[in-house]
Amino acid sequence: MDPVSPPQPPARGLLFYAGSAGLLTVMLIESAAVIGRHIGVPLLGALEIVQAGIVPAACAAMLIAALRGAHAAVHMVTERLPPLARRSAAGVGAVLAGIYFLALFAGSAWLAAEYWNSFEQTEVLHIPFRPLRVLVAVAAIAIAGAFFARAWRARQSS
Amino acid sequence: MSGAIGVGALLVLLAAGVPIGVAMGMVGLVGMTLLLGFEPALIKSGVVFFETVTRFELGVLPLFLLMAHVCLVAGASRDFFGAAASLIGHRRGGLALATIAGCAGFGAVSGSSLATAATMGQIGLPEMRRRGYSTALAAGSVAAGGTLGSLTPPSGALIVFGIIAEQSIGKLFTAAIIPVVTQTLLYMAAILIVCRIRPSVAPASPRVPWPERGRAMLRVLDLAALVGIVLTGIAIGWFTPTEAASIGASLSLLLCALRKRLTWEAFCEALAQTLRTSGMLYVVIIGALIFAAFMSFTGLAEQIEALVHGLNSGPTTTIVAIAILLLLLGSVLDGLALMLLTTPILLPITNALGISPIWFGIFLVRTMEIGFVHPPIGINLYVMQSIAPDIPIGRVFKGVLPFLAVDFLHLALLIAIPGMALALPRWLG
Repeated sequence: MDPVSPPQPPARGLLFYAGSAGLLTVMLIESAAVIGRHIGVPLLGALEIVQAGIVPAACAAMLIAALRGAHAAVHMVTERLPPLARRSAAGVGAVLAGIYFLALFAGSAWLAAEYWNSFEQTEVLHIPFRPLRVLVAVAAIAIAGAFFARAWRARQSS
Repeated sequence: MSGAIGVGALLVLLAAGVPIGVAMGMVGLVGMTLLLGFEPALIKSGVVFFETVTRFELGVLPLFLLMAHVCLVAGASRDFFGAAASLIGHRRGGLALATIAGCAGFGAVSGSSLATAATMGQIGLPEMRRRGYSTALAAGSVAAGGTLGSLTPPSGALIVFGIIAEQSIGKLFTAAIIPVVTQTLLYMAAILIVCRIRPSVAPASPRVPWPERGRAMLRVLDLAALVGIVLTGIAIGWFTPTEAASIGASLSLLLCALRKRLTWEAFCEALAQTLRTSGMLYVVIIGALIFAAFMSFTGLAEQIEALVHGLNSGPTTTIVAIAILLLLLGSVLDGLALMLLTTPILLPITNALGISPIWFGIFLVRTMEIGFVHPPIGINLYVMQSIAPDIPIGRVFKGVLPFLAVDFLHLALLIAIPGMALALPRWLG
């Protein structure tokens, strides 16, 4: 039961397609790698593609969950609160979540800046880490934004 | 001291309804800031965040979820129940037995207690009520049977435990097989005993002719093959759990297409559900890892370990004490929160006692399962009530009682005979 009803994002927007593309890429590459290994045609660097494919899938998934208010929470106490208090608790929770993801953004941006000139890349296919680090940091700030927007809506409705 | 304060703060945040992953991560972040300073805490959190999102082993989670959602579209739950019902549904209590068998079968593709209870409830519950089964037995068997989804490989809970505890997911899956089979058999025994004592709760139904039984069995052949390939492949080392998840998801799409159920709409819905649930789990795992890092700095586990050592209690006594603690905590925390909160604290203690972490994972998920059906949280009881609002919650709980008794017996067996979980992984190397 979500006390703050967010305006639902379109079910099949950019996030859906980016996340699905990452997920299906991982699925196809790994399946091909397994078949290849068993028939004697190993797919070199499959793990690296999987690693790169899982990042957009995970980032999109976390953002979708934040936008849709689909995060797991314990409702045993809050369900027994009056509606106004429940909305306030949801608002406080959203602010905390926003601050938490802001901290994760700061941490990942810090690391991205630190490693920017070390030209990290995967061993076989030389996939650069820079775009992955940027994507992760952007996802963190976007999720923080989604939670702050949620907190704002909670404030408006109480 | 700081560890205990951290646990207390976490419980307060959880009670306030803060998302589980956020609460754990926030406590971990603030705790590390106080212990180590702002900069190291921020960097450590950034490292955990990036490493978790880029971990290819974590692909196992969304891919198994995709397999589950696609199998649901393919009609797996209905077919598993149909096959079991056609075989044993005519016996007294047969539909309740079929529900348990269906839950075990569907659990093997869904990996989730909630999904199993909700899905099988929509199929098994109306059928049992139509045939005159007592509402308590009908709702109780679905609620209890649903918990099989938590332990049956590819269990989402075992995957999360494997990641947090840095244990082989493949070994955890293999270790879960005997406990799942024995749990299923014990649930069936409970139904048979209830039907023997009170035959009126589950009347016998007309026998299904053999040709129809054959057709029902044929309908689950492809699903059984899918589950068989995935689990056997992991157990005998054809592929890693992540690869198994990819193979399982690919095969489930093929299976769904062959069954002519794979529409564009259904495919997109399965993907959307997968992304939403995966996103929730990623946030939880990141938070749990940050919290675990904080716990390792506090030394709380070592202090408890020293306390346990000082009491001179053997591993069995300690495990029984842990089981009681988990069951008590399970009364106020939901399963996921319970597992994530206790793993970083309890795992070092059991490791020090020489208890296998693989066994501990099975034990923890098994204990967590009991929390799904015992009040006041007992989320599966509420799932049943949402499916059939006319059945009072007290009646659902009454129906769950025989299964709860069996759950405690099964947990005791798991503690007394660790080989139940460890024999298969040992045998398969």
